[in-house]
Amino acid sequence: MKTSLSKHQRFWRTFGRVVIFLVLLILAISFLYPLYYMLINSLKSLGEYYVNPFGLPREQLQWQNFITMISQFKILKLFGNSFIISFFTVLGLVVFGTLASYSFAKVNFKGKNGVYLVILTTLFVPAQVTMIPMYISFAKVGLVDNFLGVVIAYWAMFLPETIMLMTANFKSIPNELLEAATIDGCDYIGRLRHVVMPMGWPAISLTIIFFFISSWNDLFTPMVLLKSMDKRTVMVALSSLIGRYTGDPPFQYAGLLMSAIPALAVYAVFQKSIVKGMSMGAIK
Amino acid sequence: MAQRSSPGAPALPRAGDMQRKRTRIAYLSLLPVLLILLLVKAYPILATIYRSFTNWDGLYKHDFVGLANYKEFFGTGLFMTLFKNNLVLLLSVPLQVIIGLIVAVLLYEQVPGWKAFRAIYYIPQIISLVILGYLFRSMFSLDGPVNKVLEALGFSSSVREWMGDGSTALPIMVGCITWYSIGWQTIVILGGMSGIDPSVFEAARLDGANFFQRTFKIVLPMITSVITYCVVMAVVWTFTSLFSLIYSMTGGGPGYETMTLDYMIYEKSFVTGSQLGMACTISVVLFIIVMLITAAEMKLSDIAEQKWG
Repeated sequence: MKTSLSKHQRFWRTFGRVVIFLVLLILAISFLYPLYYMLINSLKSLGEYYVNPFGLPREQLQWQNFITMISQFKILKLFGNSFIISFFTVLGLVVFGTLASYSFAKVNFKGKNGVYLVILTTLFVPAQVTMIPMYISFAKVGLVDNFLGVVIAYWAMFLPETIMLMTANFKSIPNELLEAATIDGCDYIGRLRHVVMPMGWPAISLTIIFFFISSWNDLFTPMVLLKSMDKRTVMVALSSLIGRYTGDPPFQYAGLLMSAIPALAVYAVFQKSIVKGMSMGAIK
Repeated sequence: MAQRSSPGAPALPRAGDMQRKRTRIAYLSLLPVLLILLLVKAYPILATIYRSFTNWDGLYKHDFVGLANYKEFFGTGLFMTLFKNNLVLLLSVPLQVIIGLIVAVLLYEQVPGWKAFRAIYYIPQIISLVILGYLFRSMFSLDGPVNKVLEALGFSSSVREWMGDGSTALPIMVGCITWYSIGWQTIVILGGMSGIDPSVFEAARLDGANFFQRTFKIVLPMITSVITYCVVMAVVWTFTSLFSLIYSMTGGGPGYETMTLDYMIYEKSFVTGSQLGMACTISVVLFIIVMLITAAEMKLSDIAEQKWG
């Protein structure tokens, strides 16, 4: 095909590719700019920020915005709270999700399609619709102001998507492998451990990464369910803190940037599998 | 193989027993999921529907009042006030899908660095909407950078508190949501395009089709089911997942100027606190809207399937 192009055509094709590259580059800059903007301004004094909001810091770098975040606002403690919640959320999703999805993908049992359909229909139930009765029930059994309450709420929220993702993936595991494992003496749990977990790892790892980030970033559920100051997640604390410092944008930016870093770090490491999973359109 | 799965050894149980055992184990492994969904999803939905017909205040009152909440919600115009804001925010959906499609077609050319670009476009989705909301709010604040630029360019009359007025705050939110969602749309659409035979593009190019003809006349019809999926996910998401953004950008104000249906549920139940019955009514209305959209999606993708295969 390529050889049939004339010199003229080849010029225009190269020109077109340069234009495309430039358009994509500008777009990329627009997506990175907010992070850059937060970074440069979090290192400026308030005075310098108002004079020079776009340029690089010219005066001495103001690290104390970050130091205040750590020493006074205990942001690392908040990270810890968020981490505990995200960790147990993801752990439950993997354990319960793998068990359920293996049954849906590989076991023939009565009522399978019906149960699967019912689980999928809960996919589109907005969190706000279930929150009020859930809050009242949780209050009765001591799950309000309790990390476990938030974790259970997230399990309910994310399990349908997890199961949809995992079931689709587990279906592609060859039956022969499962049969061979049975002959080698693997029971139900053994087959899960030695065949399903390793073979279905793309779906399982995507579940871990994606819902770790989702639960880290969420505001609504922990804001409603956690009451005491020392139990708040980063996003809950941020939502009440930042609003009080509208007069000091550099300080705000330091807090916002720090809170964004853990999720961004996870993305930086696992970027490939996230983008691959998204391409399958499995998750929103 | 067949020998293995149905061995004839007499000690083994009969096929019917096997099937029953399999079903028992399957339900046993589904038990955690079913319990969680039953207690934390199914029960709350039913309770919400029931409570929407009461004057529940969370403490003493829980009398059955029939359709009173619904009449109040629709009769006082509150529904339209909120729904109108939802509709304005929905303007972001066509924007993000069209831009996402164009960007996907550009990435499909695989110019150097396209994988890095693709990864960068997804970055906003990794940042919490709480963070982005505050960032945008401070950029558009009275002494923020946007007003600074306007002043420097000589548009001093345009300087204003952008978030202080629904007519400027809502369009800014639409822009923010669009910017936030382009990466997701691009990646999903690009994933859908990977199923298209590359020779189709080559043929179109040789026929002299320009970029926009290629995008909208050739690519678009070949990935209608992906586009339907993108549109529906974006619509449902816009109706249900903007709490963090609205909370950090405007808190729904001033007044109800940027308040949406889902935000109002929070406002009525966890802020003002005493109108839980009404909050449940709004929940039911939101639930019905989301279900209608989902049902329409299934219908649409059926039609698309028949028309374009």
